[in-house]
Amino acid sequence: MSKEQQFKQKILIADDSEMNRAILADMLESEYEIIEAENGVEAIAAIQKYGPELSLILLDIVMPELDGFGVLEVMNRHHWIDEIPVIMISSESSSFHVERAYKLGITDYISRPFDAVIVHHRVVNTIVLYAKQKKLAALVMEQIDEKEKQSSLMIDILSHIVEFRNGESGLHVLHIRSLTELLLKHLNQVSDKYRFTKEEISMICIASALHDIGKISIPGEILNKPGRLTKEEFDIMKTHTTIGAEMLEKLSFHQEEPLVKEAYAICRWHHERYDGRGYPDGLKGDEIPIHAQIVALADVYDALTSERVYKKAFPHEEAIRMICNGECGAFNPLLLQCLREIADTLQENLNNTKTGQIDEQELQDILEEKLHPKDNPVSERTIQLLEHERMKSSFYASMSEEIQFEYSITPPMLTLSEWGARRLGLPELIMDPLGDERVTAIMDPEDIKKLGDILHNTFRKNPVVKYDCKANTGGEARWIRIVAQALESLEDPPVYTGVIGKAVDIHEARLRLDALESMVSHDALTGLLTIEYAEKRIRERLAMSAGERYVLLLLDVDHIKEANDSRGRMFGDQILAHVANIVRSSVGEEDVAARISGDEFLILVKGRSDEKEAARWIMSALEGDYEGFKVSVCVGTVAVEEGEADYDKLFKKADKALLMAKRGGAGQYRGYNDCMMEEKNL
Amino acid sequence: MSLIDCYKSLEGDYDDVLGRLRSEKLVQKFVLKFLNDGSYDLLCSSLEAKDYKEAFRASHTIKGVCQNLSFTKLYRSSHELTEALRNGWSPEADPLVEQVKKDYEQTVTAIRKLQAEVGG
Repeated sequence: MSKEQQFKQKILIADDSEMNRAILADMLESEYEIIEAENGVEAIAAIQKYGPELSLILLDIVMPELDGFGVLEVMNRHHWIDEIPVIMISSESSSFHVERAYKLGITDYISRPFDAVIVHHRVVNTIVLYAKQKKLAALVMEQIDEKEKQSSLMIDILSHIVEFRNGESGLHVLHIRSLTELLLKHLNQVSDKYRFTKEEISMICIASALHDIGKISIPGEILNKPGRLTKEEFDIMKTHTTIGAEMLEKLSFHQEEPLVKEAYAICRWHHERYDGRGYPDGLKGDEIPIHAQIVALADVYDALTSERVYKKAFPHEEAIRMICNGECGAFNPLLLQCLREIADTLQENLNNTKTGQIDEQELQDILEEKLHPKDNPVSERTIQLLEHERMKSSFYASMSEEIQFEYSITPPMLTLSEWGARRLGLPELIMDPLGDERVTAIMDPEDIKKLGDILHNTFRKNPVVKYDCKANTGGEARWIRIVAQALESLEDPPVYTGVIGKAVDIHEARLRLDALESMVSHDALTGLLTIEYAEKRIRERLAMSAGERYVLLLLDVDHIKEANDSRGRMFGDQILAHVANIVRSSVGEEDVAARISGDEFLILVKGRSDEKEAARWIMSALEGDYEGFKVSVCVGTVAVEEGEADYDKLFKKADKALLMAKRGGAGQYRGYNDCMMEEKNL
Repeated sequence: MSLIDCYKSLEGDYDDVLGRLRSEKLVQKFVLKFLNDGSYDLLCSSLEAKDYKEAFRASHTIKGVCQNLSFTKLYRSSHELTEALRNGWSPEADPLVEQVKKDYEQTVTAIRKLQAEVGG
């Protein structure tokens, strides 16, 4: 990309006919960078990708996947239409279409066949107009911002004067304001009862700075007395609330200003208490306006944690404890809950907030801007930064060999990193991926749904989720690990809007893990399952397939002791391995075979109900000669009846039956019956 | 065959297109490009598959391109076909399909002759 091209303004042309795009591009590409989309979905992807960098969109109506109206609807939903002008170009000339397009916020409608020069003029005009409008909007914003800064500056100066008389630094006002803001925002989150808009929060915070203006009329000796106040002195002190309120009430103008009303309530009632034992009016519970309650709480916290002429500063934890214990009077339980919940991060937040601080540097900056307006408007620099960020992340994505993805819920759309898309053989952008066979062929819809549910359910508490599953990548099922983060909207409270994440191939690592697990789960001599794993597996089988028929068999190899004694322990082990081999080759995939210990084995066969037949089957398979040793086994069985899922009971029964069989001598079989249990002490 | 003759042969309006696009070179470039446009093939295949939604879109695209290039004759038939397919298949569509096919052949034959001449 040449340098010149990089700073050209971008125009998106969305039209399904390549020819139509080419005609438009031809007219505009010398002055603008042209981005093309051949359907509505691609158009939305381009808008998402470039955002406000797009200076204009030329939009066709009839397109596959998503038509021009669909694109406009999405643009409206995301408020993109406020940022990016759209000119519709179409051969649909019915007034119905034109009307609908205008209603959806387009700037201009051009009918086909169009005149190249006229289109060019309209494009240039629209872009210039929008740029002007944006500049104007930015200017107005700046002015408002400056005004607000100035008015809060005035209030800060005013309250600083009060503080100054009080021998305080002005930090108190600042802390009250930050605390009020933190409490209000948290209250918004936890309570349905109170809903403060951003404007209200800002206004209450400004008004909070005025809470002590009445102190201007309190004599300095009382205000700054190091010891305890006498009753008379305290009564005078108390009047700062009513005097402050009166001062505001007697303003000859601005009486109707919301700020003045808020400030009145705060001045007058920031010493009231929830149980009615505060002053000056002894209001109780919700008779005290909520913002006055909040400022009261903030005031108490800051008074406790600051040093005063008459007291030392309490540490943060101590202050919270004292307030919650009611040592500073009663407060609204809901506000106490808020205070407790923000307590952990409170100190840090208070140190970080600079709101309202009288900052000479800021004043300087404002002045500087006025005298020497910058050549580049802020927005252009932001766009360059964004461009830079995007190049960076696309570079890292291509280097990392990870499949990176982004999913948005509205519209339902999956965007894959370039490398990821190539690896999976998918397009970079997929609309409605959950309904797309190309996607579900790669990842099981069950897994997609599970992962989505986890993210959705935990996004407030635990936004980052790890999920291992199998996926068909490059023609084989491989283990992958998905690490994903839920995205939330900027609203308050936030809403789950989508997911970003990456998928990494962990196939080899997972296989190693599986192999390790298999090693510990198998008996070293015979290669059959160890009894612990067999037990686990049988319990799972029984729990999962109720109604399925099983027979549990316990086997004991006869005369092993004699073989050990006469031909050595090695030979005995060989016999056991031989038996295990036959067992392994006899059982089916859904059966379970294990070595219990020594010369005892366990088999669970599926799909059989006749115990006797099952026993015969394994006995005849095992009987025979092994290097001069006559192999035979005793077998005890129990049939698993429908719905019977207690492994321990079943094992005990089979074990009992085996004991009975062994009692009859070598090569014997017994099926379990209830009489056996009656001979408990044998 | 010259560009003007090509327009005569395909029954288009050369003066109109030149008036809008302002350059003979540009007009010629896009006229030659028409041979590569896939909309006609898409129209035929989607009609065969009875996918009338897709056929509507393809026909609509042909109509739009013809409008841009002032291919008057093919524009008319494709315009009528587009309307006939707007709400799925209708009895008027069949003869209109035949008409569009005829007009399309006439158009591309003329453009191919132009292409042979200018070697595009």
